[in-house]
Amino acid sequence: MPSFRKRLPRPLSPITYLVRNPGKTVPLTAVILLAVLLIAGVVAIMDSIPYSIRTIYGYSRLLLFAGPRGESQLTQEIVERFQRQKEVPVERIAVVRAAPTVVRSIVGKWPFAIIGFEQKDLAYALGRMGTRRLEGRLPKQGMAEAVVSEPVARNRGLKIGSVLMSPDDTDNFSPFPVKVVGIAQSDEWFMFADKDYIRGNHFPPIDVVLAFAPTLEDQVRLGAWARSEFKGERVQLLSFYEVERDAKEMFRILYAILNVVIGILVSVIALMVAMLMNIHQGQRLVEFGLLQALGHTRRRLLARSLTEASLLVVVGWILGVALSFGLLATFKAILLDPQAFAMQLWNPQAMAYTVAVPAVVLLVACGTVVWRFRRFDPVGIVERRLV
Amino acid sequence: MIRAEGASLIYHDHGREVAACRDIHLTVRPGEFLGILGPSGSGKSSLLYLLCGLKIPTHGRVLFDGRDLAAMADDERSRLRLGEFGFVFQQPYLVGYLSALENVLTAGGGRTDPDHALGLLDRLGLAEKAHRLPHELSGGERQRVCVARALYGRPRVVFADEPTAALDRRNGEQVVRLMNECRDGGALVMVTHDEHMLEEADRIVRLDDGEILSVEPREGRWREAGISNGIFREPDPLR
Ligand SMILES: Nc1ncnc2c1ncn2[C@@H]1O[C@H](COP(=O)(O)OP(=O)(O)O)[C@@H](O)[C@H]1O
Ligand SMILES: [Mg+2]
Repeated sequence: MPSFRKRLPRPLSPITYLVRNPGKTVPLTAVILLAVLLIAGVVAIMDSIPYSIRTIYGYSRLLLFAGPRGESQLTQEIVERFQRQKEVPVERIAVVRAAPTVVRSIVGKWPFAIIGFEQKDLAYALGRMGTRRLEGRLPKQGMAEAVVSEPVARNRGLKIGSVLMSPDDTDNFSPFPVKVVGIAQSDEWFMFADKDYIRGNHFPPIDVVLAFAPTLEDQVRLGAWARSEFKGERVQLLSFYEVERDAKEMFRILYAILNVVIGILVSVIALMVAMLMNIHQGQRLVEFGLLQALGHTRRRLLARSLTEASLLVVVGWILGVALSFGLLATFKAILLDPQAFAMQLWNPQAMAYTVAVPAVVLLVACGTVVWRFRRFDPVGIVERRLV
Repeated sequence: MIRAEGASLIYHDHGREVAACRDIHLTVRPGEFLGILGPSGSGKSSLLYLLCGLKIPTHGRVLFDGRDLAAMADDERSRLRLGEFGFVFQQPYLVGYLSALENVLTAGGGRTDPDHALGLLDRLGLAEKAHRLPHELSGGERQRVCVARALYGRPRVVFADEPTAALDRRNGEQVVRLMNECRDGGALVMVTHDEHMLEEADRIVRLDDGEILSVEPREGRWREAGISNGIFREPDPLR
């Protein structure tokens, strides 16, 4: 029986006003939507820079660099001290040589190391980097050959047979053209070569120790052990800890600036939207006065206005988040992925920034509504003394 | 039902005191048609607002069923207006984005009853136009929607403040007639400066400068009118 009954009209439901006045509600929703889009976009792209650092140098989670500083003889001692310690298990110690190259990022070229492994360590290193499959083969001893991971290949536009480093490439210099002979299917970024080739053709002439712990937790503990063990000595350490620390420091000021800019943006937009809402509220004084005179309580009218404002703002925000997500996904797929530029699609920080817009709009809008209702005489309206 | 006991309403207008109503003693009886008549600025509206609780007297008191309106909380007075009173104002104010029917449904404190609202619109000759928006209605039609809205909650008192002022004579008379016919036992308190609109009133309160000059039953008025007609006829110099 109830299913046959027509739905009762609800003239004073907040939805009714919002739906019947698209000329007023749609532009407001659109402004909030665009603001959310703008802020989410800016923050997502900004965040992609430190995120790129973490992605590109992410392989440092899986190993610990320990190189002598200004005293190349120290390498053997470093190896021995790693072997002697009993605090953290060490799965393997490799003595390698490294040479500078670059990768491309969204903000230009970044330095990247090509690491020359001894033949006995190469397969282990590849496995350590989570290689699922190797296309091609490993570099041969003493040859100008390299194996790169899939993201590096995408980033530098490399295929098997491409030249990774060459005499006429100042960013990626090597006295002989170094050819890519293998592409490792892995999510990490890395370039590996044969140690003898790097030793024979590249500076710096230093053997660096790479220490591998069996698990990721052990790797973190190994880093902590090394930092205290070699404190104040001529040993340079590099692990994800240092990458993180430097990235944070590098972006501290940038984020401070970003916060100010977004703060101003949020204020301007919120003020604008709240002003528009205020004007719309003002145009409805007759409605409010009339309904109050008819006997609707101030509280009920206030609740209705606040619900309307909240719905508008929340719908605008949800649409804005959905649209940002869609546009960023498209942007990433079309422009970033082909070059392996990293960006987090689901970025909680960007979302947190966008919440400021609806929050401030709601606060200001509700504030003005409450203020308006506080001293409001319906008689003045129906008597036409106001309006 | 409603009783004003020495009620006064004094406005403070730029430091000057304006007595809109002075020492009003008046009772609104159940079911009666009470007319309030007076020139512009005589305090008719103010008296109406005092009687319905939209204004609180500065002196004296107004009682509804023995309860002092001034002693009630604002929300309580609101609920009283919604549940027990109906209103027709001088301007046919309607909510612009709601249809005639929906506007009627904004009144009344009970459950939403579209059939009752449609019935009222039908009696007021608006059955065909129930789903039109206010801007698609004429002034007279709009004021009739306001009448339907005032009657929708089956109020015990309908207050009308110059409901005909914004209409031409024909529409004005029609609105008053319909309001009187459709009130189904509720009292009607109507303010006007136009005596013609009060031909069906049971009693008429004459107001000037915020004070009640007289409260006359309509029957008496007819007799008076008969006498004055007689008086008029005699000294007519043209005969
Ligand atoms: N809000 C107000 N502030 C100051 N004076 C007012 C106000 N409302 C009404 N008055 C004054 O009170 C008197 C009575 O007004 P009102 O009740 O509106 O008369 P009427 O309805 O008979 O024209 C007038 O002199 C008017 O100027
Ligand atoms: Mg008046």
